[in-house]
Amino acid sequence: MHIKELSKQYDGKTVVDNVTFEIPKGKVISLIGPNGAGKSTVMGMISRLIAHDSGIVDFEGKDIGKWKSKELSKWLAILTQTNNIQMKLTVRELVTFGHFPYSGNHITPKDKEIINRAIEYMELQEFQDRFIDELSGGQRQRALIAMVIAQDTDYVLLDEPTNNLDIYHATNMMKIVRRLCDELGKTVILVLHEINYAAFYSDYICAFKDGKIAKFGTVEEVMTKENLSHIYGVDFEILNIEGKPLSIYY
Amino acid sequence: MNTKTALSNRRKLIILAVIVILCGIGYMLIDVNFSNPKLFAYAMKIRAPKLIVMLITAFSIGGASLVFQSIINNTIVTPCLLGMNSLYTLIHTAVVFFFGTASVVASNANLAFAVDLVLMGIVATVIYSWIFKKTKHNVLYVLLVGTVLTSFFGSIQTTLTRVMDPNEYDDLLNTLVAGFSNINSEIIVFSIILLGVIIIALRKELAILDVLTLGKEQAINLGVDYDRCIRRLLLGVTLCIAVATAMVGPISFLGLIIANLSRQLLKTYRHTQLILGSALFGMMVLVGGQLIVEHVYTYSIPVSVFITVGGRLYFLYLLLTRKKV
Repeated sequence: MHIKELSKQYDGKTVVDNVTFEIPKGKVISLIGPNGAGKSTVMGMISRLIAHDSGIVDFEGKDIGKWKSKELSKWLAILTQTNNIQMKLTVRELVTFGHFPYSGNHITPKDKEIINRAIEYMELQEFQDRFIDELSGGQRQRALIAMVIAQDTDYVLLDEPTNNLDIYHATNMMKIVRRLCDELGKTVILVLHEINYAAFYSDYICAFKDGKIAKFGTVEEVMTKENLSHIYGVDFEILNIEGKPLSIYY
Repeated sequence: MNTKTALSNRRKLIILAVIVILCGIGYMLIDVNFSNPKLFAYAMKIRAPKLIVMLITAFSIGGASLVFQSIINNTIVTPCLLGMNSLYTLIHTAVVFFFGTASVVASNANLAFAVDLVLMGIVATVIYSWIFKKTKHNVLYVLLVGTVLTSFFGSIQTTLTRVMDPNEYDDLLNTLVAGFSNINSEIIVFSIILLGVIIIALRKELAILDVLTLGKEQAINLGVDYDRCIRRLLLGVTLCIAVATAMVGPISFLGLIIANLSRQLLKTYRHTQLILGSALFGMMVLVGGQLIVEHVYTYSIPVSVFITVGGRLYFLYLLLTRKKV
């Protein structure tokens, strides 16, 4: 996926300004940056939820706007923070919806197997007949990930997946992200607020500031004292833990 | 889906259908003179069209309301918000005001139906297709426009009735209450065809209703052309309501009740079942209600009064017992 000269304006105010970078396949890429830096907007444009004003999101050789939505949904799965599902839906039914792009409303035994595997992968067997509004935040997040797995896409986009989760569930979430990439070979792109999660669990970091890319590169390249201080405007120290550069800010 | 609930829901729907059929049979046969074939034929001739009208009305209002709620993603919105009721009232008041009760437009049922339908169709297309596009596909703006128009139509109508000849007003009142009598077979056939066309035109969108209720972002993620889909459904819903309203009068409040009864009974997200349930509840309420009105109250109270009174109470109940706001 190549992103070229991507821009977006809201009411004349530029929120994303001439952003160009390339997303390496089969890796975990984190988008970080302060509030209002434009990382979520970039994510929205990559995922076609937000239309881009200018520039190109080149996905597998074709601009994302030119793809048929139905075809794209077999390549690209999105998980956003707004999941206000009003319906009475069990976990199993939710996961089944993930397979909708392939089979519509008709589920064959083969589809069922894929759905079963997704549920097992997320260890949701005992919850599968529970209604999702009766689950805890962590369980619901897992159910949504299972849905993404059932969608069986090469790319997975997660918008702030650790939001509203405690440290235990957030760390679990990040481990799942890593497994999606290492075990299932997916390219995972996520927007994160916690820099250290980005540093510890991703391969590449793209840091935004004022609608522009401040730094894009491997974790080691981006996670330096100078870069982070420049991006966030606070003082940083970098520690090396388990071979990963983790940051302390104060 | 869960096979257990699927089975029990099927059973519930069959029971509902049986009740509807019993109501229908009761409506057709109670107090009918079987010994005299001429009287029997006369009773059938009067009752059969009424029954058919009630069934069509229940189906279109029930289905449309349920779809409407799913589009808005809110189960306590009523299709009254679309403004078709007050537009109907305004059209009829204006006709009586400007042309008089004796005029062709007021007295010829077919013509009145055509006028209603054309005007409602135009308003529906303009508001729910054009404005929806203009507001960048924001459903809430469209609802707001609908609410504003409802009071706008209402105010004009009130102004007209204030300066109207009292005798004319008396005549007018009768047409402003929903009723199932004196509906021509031409209108019935035409309505059925129209509803059929709407359903066929929307068959693809109706098939993905389940996915739409997951919310905008999820629906797009799963490959649904969300804005187009919502626009077409919204237009279809408004037209269905318009057909039913043009046929029997302001009745769309019924939709709130039956759609919610169906949701409460079936507790599923499957729209095939929910729509069926909603339509069956509508048939039960209308046919059963009319049965009571005709035989217990001997026509002194129209069925729409019961629907409005009962509906408001049920609406209050829904508001008060809703856990999430």
